[in-house]
Amino acid sequence: MTVMVTNAEVLALEAAPAQGKTRATATADVPERRPAQAADRAAQPVLALSQIALTFGGVAALRDVDLAVAPGEIRAVIGPNGAGKSSLLNVISGLYRPDRGEVWLGERAFAQVPTARLAAHGVARTFQNLAIFKGLSVFDNVLMGLAHRVRSGFLRQIIGSPLARRIDAENRAAAEDVIGFLHLGEVRERAAGTLPYGLQKRVELARALVARPTLLLLDEPFAGVTLSEKLELSEHVRNARDSYGATIVLIEHDIGVVMGLSDRIAVLDNGSKIADGTPDEVRADQAVIDAYLGVAHQDITELAV
Amino acid sequence: MSAAPSTAQLLPGAGAFAITVGAAVAFGAVPLLGSDYLMDAVLTPFLALALAAVGLNLLTGYAGQVSLGSAAFLAVGAYATYNLHLRLPQLPLLVDLVLAGLIAAAIGIVFGLPSLRLRGFYLAVSTLAAQFFVQWALTKFGWFSNDNPSGVIDAPVLSVAGFTFTSPAERYVFSLSVVVVATVLTQRLLRAQSGRNFIAVRDHELAAKVIGVPLLRTKLLAFGASSFLIGIAGALWAFAYLRTVEPAGFNLDRSFQILFIIIIGGLASLRGAFLGAAFIVVFPLLLSRAGAALLGGVFDSGVLEMSQRIVVGVLIIAFLIAEPRGLIALWDRLWRAVARPAAIRNT
Ligand SMILES: Nc1ncnc2c1ncn2[C@@H]1O[C@H](COP(=O)(O)OP(=O)(O)OP(=O)(O)O)[C@@H](O)[C@H]1O
Ligand SMILES: [Mg+2]
Repeated sequence: MTVMVTNAEVLALEAAPAQGKTRATATADVPERRPAQAADRAAQPVLALSQIALTFGGVAALRDVDLAVAPGEIRAVIGPNGAGKSSLLNVISGLYRPDRGEVWLGERAFAQVPTARLAAHGVARTFQNLAIFKGLSVFDNVLMGLAHRVRSGFLRQIIGSPLARRIDAENRAAAEDVIGFLHLGEVRERAAGTLPYGLQKRVELARALVARPTLLLLDEPFAGVTLSEKLELSEHVRNARDSYGATIVLIEHDIGVVMGLSDRIAVLDNGSKIADGTPDEVRADQAVIDAYLGVAHQDITELAV
Repeated sequence: MSAAPSTAQLLPGAGAFAITVGAAVAFGAVPLLGSDYLMDAVLTPFLALALAAVGLNLLTGYAGQVSLGSAAFLAVGAYATYNLHLRLPQLPLLVDLVLAGLIAAAIGIVFGLPSLRLRGFYLAVSTLAAQFFVQWALTKFGWFSNDNPSGVIDAPVLSVAGFTFTSPAERYVFSLSVVVVATVLTQRLLRAQSGRNFIAVRDHELAAKVIGVPLLRTKLLAFGASSFLIGIAGALWAFAYLRTVEPAGFNLDRSFQILFIIIIGGLASLRGAFLGAAFIVVFPLLLSRAGAALLGGVFDSGVLEMSQRIVVGVLIIAFLIAEPRGLIALWDRLWRAVARPAAIRNT
């Protein structure tokens, strides 16, 4: 669902100019931000959604959703198919403009996050459907994660000016680092499109990580991969937080993986947030159990085993 | 895209050697030993078409923006060079050439603006507008052809720093020098971040946007750089090859010809552009020889043209189905088959 943005939507998105503006003065209006003590400031959310509502035609994809993500947290968002999980990420990354509500990235509030500036704000994401650059090598895919850092114009790139060369060297070193971190060294020169699905997912994760984002949004990073790859990838996600210091929002169907990996879990159902808390709290929540019905019961029992 | 192991990888030091030998042959042996026919009717048009194909490949093969307006930019390059030469005679020819490229780039950027909203088939149709508009403007306004009643203008003699390029060999060397410089610069652009951005926009525009690739700038750079190269190719076509300039030579057929070159040669490959251009230039010559030998007088120019179209059409279908990466992929496979055993024998 995620990448299904039609032409008309892209047009609409581009026609609406970037809405982001610092609202330092408005900060006091928002409850979460009112406390000014040092201790509270340290715990200021990396990402906060307030009262996000989104509809498509008559379909309400999100209904007044609030969400706060603390620094260094792995925050899972779960829910059945069509619950609005991907829509939530698309709102955070500015691909959808919510009908109401605000997205706070650190200190700044947006009615619509400017997608083109997302990377500059320290936000990176992956997509539910693979979104790698098939014709580029694995290494070049990873380098692309730093595209926003290349400030040298094309003429400087052609002649290889000192600025262009310095940026290039820095970026290559950073890419090299992530390639090693995610064990992609053996395939680094292969065209990404020729790799098996699980590796392609890992390339996409590497591309998102290379810029060392403060906020990393992962839309079902383990979907469609084998069980062993799933375990390996989830270890990588944990390492991404531990070694790279990224705060992570993780969408995942597999409750088993989610319970083991995340610090807090928000549960969406039919566009509304029906539960939010630690894995144990969510597991015991009656509304969650009802929403998940048979399938989820199975997952939850599986987990208990 | 997957590059074959180059000579340099197989035999260290061989890369520089191959380049030196290639340059010695292309700049030395060919003009000294080659016949006028070879240079005038084969190599010079090959070079101009190859450069145009390099330009279109940058736009279509790398950046994924389909264009059917190449001939328009060839025409802009040719007419701009002619008019700059005519109206600003104090400028050296090479400056005219670069300025003509820049004028073509500016027009390319204007006609590239719809690419921000349109893609694929719709974009291709909108680039047709460039084709028809430019041809119309050049025919309609006599100023462009200096009010020459026939609309056909004789191109002035090429001269750089007092040295004139008039003989077939001289015009070939001039074209070769321009094409080599332009191709090397293009190669450098494609290997830098801009080149990666092109492919990213082609392969997944939304993901490219999210990671901060400036879509507007990237697409317009592709249109601008592509039109720049095609504009210069147009100047070569008119000044070094035909030595006349007329709008009819830059019609839609020519646009398709350049598109076919990059499809047959291989999308997103500069070597493919050269291979495809060589094929398109040499193939009709071979076909007419073969036809005349087999069928004698029946094989007149009408039959030649028709059979040529049929064969090219069939080949394009065959390539699209069997080897979408074009002649260059076949070439690389062949090269690997030949070079690999040799490399093993050497070790
Ligand atoms: N671009 C769109 N146009 C129209 N409707 C959309 C669009 N994107 C999402 N929706 C609708 O919004 C609702 C939520 O979809 P969303 O993709 O966010 O769900 P999800 O939780 O990610 O589901 P899944 O687990 O299947 O990925 C669905 O009813 C979907 O049909
Ligand atoms: Mg989804």
